[in-house]
Amino acid sequence: MSSTFYRRTRVSMGRHGVWRRRDFLRGVSTAAMAAGALSWSDVMALESARLRQRGKACILLWMQGGPSPFETFSPKPGHENGGETEAIDTNVPGIQIADRFPEVAQVMDRLAIIRSMNSKEGNHQRASFLLHTGYAPTASVKHPTFGAIAANEIGDAACELPAFVRIGRRIPNAGGGGLLGAEYDPFVLDRATEPPANTALTTDDARFRRRLGLLDRLEEQADDERIRQQVADHQKLYQQTAKMITSRDMQAFDLSREPENVRQQYGEGEFAAGCLLARRLVESGVTFVEVGSTGWDTHADNFPRTKELAGQVDQPYAALIRDLERRGMLDSTLVVWMGEFGRTPRINPRGGRDHYPRAFNVVLGGCGIRGGQVVGATDESGADVAERPVTVHDLFQTFCTSLDIDSSIENMSPIGRPIRIVEDGEPVSELFS
Amino acid sequence: MTRTLHGHPTHIAWTTTCTLLALVIGAKCTRAAEATSERPDPIADVAPLYPAEAAARIDSSLRAELLGDADATAPRCDDETFLRRAWLDVVGDLPSPEAITEFAFDPSSDKRAALIGRLLTDEQYGQNWARYWRDVVMYRRSDERALLTSSAMVVFLTEEFNKNTPWDEIAREMITAQGNLLENGAAGLIAAQWGEIPETAAEVSRVLMGVQIQCAQCHDHPTDRWKRDQFHELAAFFPRIAIRRIVNDNGGRRGFELISRERVRRRGRQPIDDRQGPEHFMPDLDDPAARGTLMEPVFFVTGEEMSTGISDRDRREQLADWMTSPTNPWFAKAVINRIWAELVGEGFYEPIDDLGPDRECSAPATMELLAEQFVAHNHDLKWLFTTIMLTDAYQRQSQPRRHYDETPFAANCPQRLRADQLFNSLTAALEIPDSQEPQRPQRGRPRSPRGALAAVFGYDPSEPRDEIAGAIDQALLLMNSPQLSLAMEARGSRTMLGRLISEMDDNQDVVVELYLRCLAREPNHGELRTCLKYIRDNDNRVEALEDILWALVNSTEFLYRK
Repeated sequence: MSSTFYRRTRVSMGRHGVWRRRDFLRGVSTAAMAAGALSWSDVMALESARLRQRGKACILLWMQGGPSPFETFSPKPGHENGGETEAIDTNVPGIQIADRFPEVAQVMDRLAIIRSMNSKEGNHQRASFLLHTGYAPTASVKHPTFGAIAANEIGDAACELPAFVRIGRRIPNAGGGGLLGAEYDPFVLDRATEPPANTALTTDDARFRRRLGLLDRLEEQADDERIRQQVADHQKLYQQTAKMITSRDMQAFDLSREPENVRQQYGEGEFAAGCLLARRLVESGVTFVEVGSTGWDTHADNFPRTKELAGQVDQPYAALIRDLERRGMLDSTLVVWMGEFGRTPRINPRGGRDHYPRAFNVVLGGCGIRGGQVVGATDESGADVAERPVTVHDLFQTFCTSLDIDSSIENMSPIGRPIRIVEDGEPVSELFS
Repeated sequence: MTRTLHGHPTHIAWTTTCTLLALVIGAKCTRAAEATSERPDPIADVAPLYPAEAAARIDSSLRAELLGDADATAPRCDDETFLRRAWLDVVGDLPSPEAITEFAFDPSSDKRAALIGRLLTDEQYGQNWARYWRDVVMYRRSDERALLTSSAMVVFLTEEFNKNTPWDEIAREMITAQGNLLENGAAGLIAAQWGEIPETAAEVSRVLMGVQIQCAQCHDHPTDRWKRDQFHELAAFFPRIAIRRIVNDNGGRRGFELISRERVRRRGRQPIDDRQGPEHFMPDLDDPAARGTLMEPVFFVTGEEMSTGISDRDRREQLADWMTSPTNPWFAKAVINRIWAELVGEGFYEPIDDLGPDRECSAPATMELLAEQFVAHNHDLKWLFTTIMLTDAYQRQSQPRRHYDETPFAANCPQRLRADQLFNSLTAALEIPDSQEPQRPQRGRPRSPRGALAAVFGYDPSEPRDEIAGAIDQALLLMNSPQLSLAMEARGSRTMLGRLISEMDDNQDVVVELYLRCLAREPNHGELRTCLKYIRDNDNRVEALEDILWALVNSTEFLYRK
C-alpha cells in the first residue's frame, strides 16, 4: 500500500529541525539503540519529551447539522433576527447566552466563546469535513481529522484503548485517519450506553491466544508476495485489537461502574451518556473523544427544535466541565463545542433558519483556555462578523497551542506532497492570557 | 433486449451466447439496424468486435502505448487464482469446493472464457453489481432517509443487469425516475440527494459521467475548465424535482415519493419543501439573500440547451437524451473506467470518478478503443465484462499496488472485498443461510446480518482503494462475533464443520477441505504441516479444527481477492 509506505518513510523535519517524535523514537529503538549509538539516558531524555505530553486530551462535542448562534451562544433578543429566543445571564457578569442553556451559564467562567467564527463552506459535507480537519475536502489529498492528528501527535502509546474514540450514530463527513492511515481512524461506538460490539471473547483467554498464534503462523506459511503489505497491516491490527480487548481498561466503557450520583449529574439521554463515557475514556488514557449530537439542521421549526436539542446538551455539557474540574482533569483536557456552520439571521417562512457559514460560534474550555471571556462579535443583526474575525485555520492553531501540538509539522501525502497539520492562521492568543 | 447479428446463418441472441461468442476469435459482427429502435446510431463506422478480438486489441494497444516489451508485465495467473477472482468479481461469491475441482480438472484450453460466460448468466451477477452501484450512490447520500430506497434500487438494478439492459437505458431510467421510493429503485440516484437541486446535479454528473462539476458550484472550477454558470445550468434541469411524504387518507404516513413539482397537489399529500420555485437561480455570492440569476437548462458538455418554463418530465427526458448520447464522450468512459478499475484493480483515471476534462488518462488510446466499441455494442455491459476479463491485463497475476511512478496495468492488483462479497464469502464458506433481507427496511429497526456486516466492512467504492484498510471494529467482528462463532462450531451436525468432521476421519482431508472452502485453494506444504501439528499438539481434535477454521476466516487472504 503506497500510503503506508510513505507514512513510514516520510522525512519530516519540524519547524525546529527535529525529526517527528514518533519516528525518532522508532528509529532509536530499532537502530541506534541496537548499535549502541545512544546511551540509555539519551533515550530517556528523548522519551521525557513524550512523557511531558502525556495526559493532554481533547473532547469534541459535535453539534451535527450546524447549530444556530442565535439559539446558543449569541442571542439577539432585541433584534427581529433574534426571534423568540431570550438571553440569560451567566456566572460571568456581562456575558449572556441563549435561554436554552441555563446549566452551561453556570460554568461560563470556565468557558470562552468565540462569536466571530466564519468560513465559506455552507454545505454540510464540505463544512463538516473542514471543521474536522482544518481543510476543505479535495479529491487529491485525504486530510486526517483532528482526532487522528491528536492521536498521532500526543497519543499515549502505553494506553491499551484506542487513542481516538467517536461516540454517537454515524457522524457524516467527520473524516478519519486519512493520509495518516487507517490505524488512526476513530474507534466508533453507536451508543455510549452499550458496550462496544464484539469485545467479549468467545473462548477462554488461553485458547484465544492459541488461535492468534496459529493465525500468525499460518499467515507466515502462506508467504504471499502479492498481499505482503496487507498481511503486515492485518497483523498489526490484530495485535492492537487483541491487546485492547484483553485490557483491564475496557471497564472504562461500562457506565454502570459509575456512581449513581455522578450519572445523575450528567442527566438522561444518549448525549449525556456520551459525555460521561468521554470523561471515563480520557481518564483511562484515551487522547481524543468525539461525542455527537444530531439534529441541529433546523430548516424548519427552529425555535421548538433548538429548545429540545439544547435540553439534551445543556446539562451534560455543564456536568462534564464540573466533573473534569473536580477530578483535576480540566487543566489538561480541552473541551470543544461546535458544529459545521451557523444559521441564517433571517427566519424563513417555515420558522427555520438555513445554512450560514459567515458568522458562527465555537466554545472552548480547559487545557490552558482562560474561561469567562468572549472573543469577537457579530453586528446587531447577527449577519456579519463585526469584531476580531476568527478563521477555521485560527481555530485549529488554537487547538494545537492548547494541546502542545506543533502545527507546522508536515505529514506526507501518498503522492509525496507535504501537508502541514494546520496550513495557515494564528492561534487566538487572548484565549490563553 | 435481444440483438441480432449479421454474418451468422441464424440470428443469435447475444445475451445467451456470451460463451460461444467469446470463442469465435477473429470474427466480426456488425450491428443490424433495428427497425423498432429510435436510439441514436452509434458512431457509424466502428465495427463491433467480439470480446476475444476486442480483448486482443486492448492488450496490443496497452503494449503500444504503455507497457512496451512484455518483460515488465506479470505472468498470467494460475487457474485457482483466476477461479476465485472471477467468481468474486462477477457474482461476488466464493466458488464451492465442487466448482474448484471441476475447474481444476477441466482440460479444455478455453475454460476461462467458458467460465466468464457461465458466471455472467448467473442471477448473482446482476445482484452483485446492483449492490455495487447502490453503494456508489448511497455512500454519497445527503439524507439518511434515502436509505429507504436502497433495497428497491438493488431489486431494480439486479433485474436490469440480468436482462442485460443497455447501460444508457438504465441511466435514462435513473435520470427520469418518479414514484414511491420503496417501490421504484430507479429513483435511488436522485433520491439520495433528497431533492437538493445542486447536489442532485453534481451526483448525476459524477456517477454517470465521472465529471465532478460540483466544484464550480460556488466559483469557477479551480483545476478544471468548468465555469460556475455551467454548473448552475446543469442544476436547471432539476428544479422541479421534489421528495414528498406519502400520506394516506387517515393521515398515516406511508413513506416518500419522488415527484415532479408541477403535478397538481392532491388532497392529503403535502410537499416536503416549498422553498424551491419552478426554476433554478444561481445564488448571488455577494448577496446570499437575493434571488440570484435565473438559469436556463444547458448541457455543459455539448452546449445543447432548452428554455425555462418546461415541465420536469421534459427536462429530465431531454437531459437523459443528451447525457447518454454517443456524442457525449464521458458517458461511456465513466462506466468503463469503473468496471475496469474493479476488475483490473486500477482505473485509467484515478480517482475513478474524476475523468475530466483536464485529468490524465493512463492509456488514452486504449480507453478510446474500449469506449467506441462499448458504444458500437449499444452500451452492452455483458460485452464489456467479457471483453475486459478476456484481456491479459485482467488475467495477469496480482502484484502489490504499484508505486505512483511505476507503469499501470503491468499486473492485476489485490482488491479488498466489498462488504457484500465478504458476507457472501462467509455464508458460502460456513454454509450460513442468507436470511431474507427485510423488504422495507426502516430506520431504527435492527439490521439484517448482511446490513450489520456492511455497517462495519462497507466502504464507498469510489474511494481510492489504497486508502481502504482494516479497522478495529472489523477485526473484532471476525474474531468475536457470537453469530460467526456459532457458525464455526464443530459440535453436532448443524454446522458445516460439524458435518465435515463426522464425514471425514482423516485430519488432512478436513484441513484441505477447509482451505478449499475458505480460500478456494489447497494449503501449501507449510500450512498443512502447521495445521496438522496444531491438531496433534491439542488434545481436543474438534477444538483444534475449530481454531483452524477461525484462523482461516480471520486471515488476510480471506478479506482480499487476488
